[in-house]
Amino acid sequence: MVRLKNRYLLVNILYPELEDRKGKTKVPDIVEFNQPTTDAFTAGALLKGLKAEIADVFGDYGSGAISESLNVKYLSPATSTFILRVSRAYYKLAWAALSLMTSVPVKDGKNCVFRVVRVSGTIRKAEEEAIRRARELILKAR
Amino acid sequence: MPPKKNPADFAGSSGNKKRKEPPQSSSSNQKGPDKGRDFKRVKVNDARSILKQTSDAALKNGDLDVQSFLKSREFEIKALQNGIKKSKGGRTSRAFQQVPRDMRRRTASHNVKRVPKRLQKRAAKEMKDDKTPTVDPSKRKPRTSRGRLRAETAKRLGMLAAKKKAMKGKSGDKVAGIETRPARPKIRKNKLNEPPKPKSKFRKRQIHKTWLPTHMWHAKRARMTEPKNPLWRFSIPLTSTEKSYRPTHRAGGARGAVAWDMSYMSTIQLEGPTTSLEKLLKAMGVTEKWLWEEKGTKWRHGKRTWSGWLSRNITDKPVLIGPSSIFWCPTDQQTGDEPANKTKKPPSFRVFVRIHPSAFLETWAEIFRLSKLQRPTIHIEDLRFEIGSIDITGPGSTETLLGILHPYNQSEDNMEPHAKTFRSLAGVTNPGSLPLNSLLAFSIMDPRLRYPPRPVKMPNTSDEEANFALFDMLSAWPVDSSTGSPALFDRDTRFKATRLPAQKSLNRRKALSQPGDYPSIQATDFPIPIMLLTSRPAAPSAQGTWTLLAPWKCILPIWYGLVHYPLLSGGNPRFGGLQELRQIHFEQGVPWFPVDFPGTKSGFIWETEERVKRKKEWEKRPKGKRVEWDSLDLGEGRKGEIGQGWACDFERVLGVMSLPDSGKSVDTSQDTPKTPESPPKEAQLPIEHVHKDFFSSLLSSPKLELPSPSAVATVRIILTSRGIASPCARIYRLPLSKSSQDSSMTRSNAQATTREQWLSLLPSTSNSKPLPNPNSKAAKNLGRIPLNTPLPQRVRLLAQSLLQQPPLPYPANKEEGDGNPLVPDEEDLIGFVTTGEFNLAEGKGVAVGTVFLSKIIEGFRRDGMKGGKDGRLCIVRNAGEKIGRLARWEVV
Repeated sequence: MVRLKNRYLLVNILYPELEDRKGKTKVPDIVEFNQPTTDAFTAGALLKGLKAEIADVFGDYGSGAISESLNVKYLSPATSTFILRVSRAYYKLAWAALSLMTSVPVKDGKNCVFRVVRVSGTIRKAEEEAIRRARELILKAR
Repeated sequence: MPPKKNPADFAGSSGNKKRKEPPQSSSSNQKGPDKGRDFKRVKVNDARSILKQTSDAALKNGDLDVQSFLKSREFEIKALQNGIKKSKGGRTSRAFQQVPRDMRRRTASHNVKRVPKRLQKRAAKEMKDDKTPTVDPSKRKPRTSRGRLRAETAKRLGMLAAKKKAMKGKSGDKVAGIETRPARPKIRKNKLNEPPKPKSKFRKRQIHKTWLPTHMWHAKRARMTEPKNPLWRFSIPLTSTEKSYRPTHRAGGARGAVAWDMSYMSTIQLEGPTTSLEKLLKAMGVTEKWLWEEKGTKWRHGKRTWSGWLSRNITDKPVLIGPSSIFWCPTDQQTGDEPANKTKKPPSFRVFVRIHPSAFLETWAEIFRLSKLQRPTIHIEDLRFEIGSIDITGPGSTETLLGILHPYNQSEDNMEPHAKTFRSLAGVTNPGSLPLNSLLAFSIMDPRLRYPPRPVKMPNTSDEEANFALFDMLSAWPVDSSTGSPALFDRDTRFKATRLPAQKSLNRRKALSQPGDYPSIQATDFPIPIMLLTSRPAAPSAQGTWTLLAPWKCILPIWYGLVHYPLLSGGNPRFGGLQELRQIHFEQGVPWFPVDFPGTKSGFIWETEERVKRKKEWEKRPKGKRVEWDSLDLGEGRKGEIGQGWACDFERVLGVMSLPDSGKSVDTSQDTPKTPESPPKEAQLPIEHVHKDFFSSLLSSPKLELPSPSAVATVRIILTSRGIASPCARIYRLPLSKSSQDSSMTRSNAQATTREQWLSLLPSTSNSKPLPNPNSKAAKNLGRIPLNTPLPQRVRLLAQSLLQQPPLPYPANKEEGDGNPLVPDEEDLIGFVTTGEFNLAEGKGVAVGTVFLSKIIEGFRRDGMKGGKDGRLCIVRNAGEKIGRLARWEVV
């Protein structure tokens, strides 16, 4: 039997455009950087947006290569983190498409950056990395 | 804020379901999710989903806030950790898969009771969940009419037996107090011994063969010889059912131990006065002078063993039978060496001769004949099913024996001296480090009294003093000053030892003893006489072997202790079959009797059986997928394999037993058709084995006359470069050089290949090849370019290095045989490979072969007796292949 080989991408959504926060409470930049994403950003929305971007960049070939294996394993809007599963052969296509996306793929989405922070062969390692990063963020935000 | 489960959570995973829903899913859904596949799917989904929060959790009234930011992160950490834990619990692996590797034979069954206890509950639940069909053997109905008949008979017999037992119990009460001694088995003098009568349950299966004492144990764990064709009239384990090639290699050399039940080895006891024994043994080929002089007293007093070849005389010509070991019954020094003090009858001595079962009848007949000729006469006894043996090798072998063999007399002062020495051997990692052929004889207690075996306390390896004491003891060998116990030679003692107490009574005694203590010895526990022999392989650093001799029926309890002994290096000793025995011999560079000695009768019988087997294997294959021997192209117009491709065709080289018109098989331009299948004549072998001492003397002195053309000897072949030789491979000597060939003018057509072509294949000076000198010019040219070289120079150097080694042409030139020279003609065929494969100890292809002495010596002398460079070179070609490989040979 042949094992299906996958890659798990741990992705953070960053908002580097700092708003003018007049009349609002002052928060550290890092909190604003990692601010939560809108609730409209569901797994379906993410898949739709990503597939559209891949079709745009890589054409039919890219969307065909990706469509079989692309899957959202975890998506947390509160922390702007998600874990994607892509087949090992084509994970670079997904990565490239994510890098080229400039806004959250919802209606009137904010400008953002999708940052792939970890590519791993098992979901477990991706989860561990997410935990590590969350810990780091807590320390930084304090 | 309470965490919310996102409804979209399951959407992703349920979107691409692998299987369709089963048709009854709708009904099962109504019943509830805790049934069958749906339940499983929900369970898996549940285990894999991770909790998440909506964005509100990170905001406070829709605005960014540090506190809620931190809270949401904390929640994420916890959710992820929880997810990791949950997914671990929801794995799909079954209980059967948890069973360790060496217990895997149990996993194949769907019997819950066969998995370890701790997993039984889980396995039962899993099987219930997925409705694995199980069979209760007690409720199984016989399917065939024959089976039903059999079941009915068994039932009726059982009832009969129960009735009989009940009757016996009633009558037994009356005659209580009268104890009958079980009949002592008869060993008749000068007659063959009969195998022990098996239980009636197993008698039918042992009509044409005998089971080893550990048969039941082995039959569950090893591939045995087929029931219809046993090997040497025994049912012998061939190889372990689990993967064992590399583990055996490791256990035999690096760590661990490998044990074999060698009870099939035959023992013959000779009894008679020294002078007669000496005459008989000398006639059997124990002719080494030193054995019968001052130097050999240790052997004659039963303190050393002798191992060597036995032979028999046929018309004043010794014919080798097989390797054997011979040792005397331990006796006192005074009586042993003085046959002069004749009172009225010379004292009689006992000698054990141990020989391989394939050569047993031959030896027995010869010894029997010779014993009749001696005056005073010699009595011989066949102790085949009286004395069993276990062989054990590897670094952990001594430790294992120490852990399971407990001397009968435990107190320090009345312990036998041999037992005392044996106990002090802790720390020995190689039985070969004991004095050559040393022997220990003492009595042990029933090993079941100390079962399960506990690890032995080993001395600290860094303790200099203890190490020194051990070495001192090994070199002084204090045992030589005392006599070992002759108990194993005594029939009564052997018989008493085999009357082992019942396991039930042992269990009772064990239960009565203190926790952690062993039960004490009672009067009903008889000592078990044993002997421990050591042997040393030819290679200096290779592992030696312990041979444990004990009464046949005591082998099983010893074996149980042995295989359960916890080694300090981890694990238990491994067990081996014939394959493993052969492998260990092969790795130590020792030829294995009988396979590697086709010049002996037993070896030739093996070879003929192998031929039949290989031929059958070959004929079984479809025509397109088997080697077509006739169309093998050896180059230069030579077609067809030499002789039969599936055989080590010694007859072909000798020119016997082939078709009459192809009697002279020197002409190789056209190959003769297959020689007809003729039954092997066991009475007269076409070839005769020659001892290696004679072979080496022939090599060292050029004056000696060449032996008869049918004389063969065993050589070890090490391939110089790549490739491996497999059994039946053809061995050639190097062809004549061109100049000498022209002068002799034996053949008009050109030689297939030249000697020079072959010699050029030899790797340049073998000792400088693996470790190139860093200072040499060649190494500098080919080595890495130094990092600090300026760029233009780098480029030049790179180009230079590329040009130096032109790439191999593509596609490879088929005409030249990939650059391999053509193999020599048939007149240079000198022998065949009997064992050959990749040798893990050497890291390259090694083989053991049998060569014709006259041919190899002729080639050797032709080359000017150069022992080093190209004198001991040969060419090996696998049967059915075109490519020959250059190899070195050495005498073994």
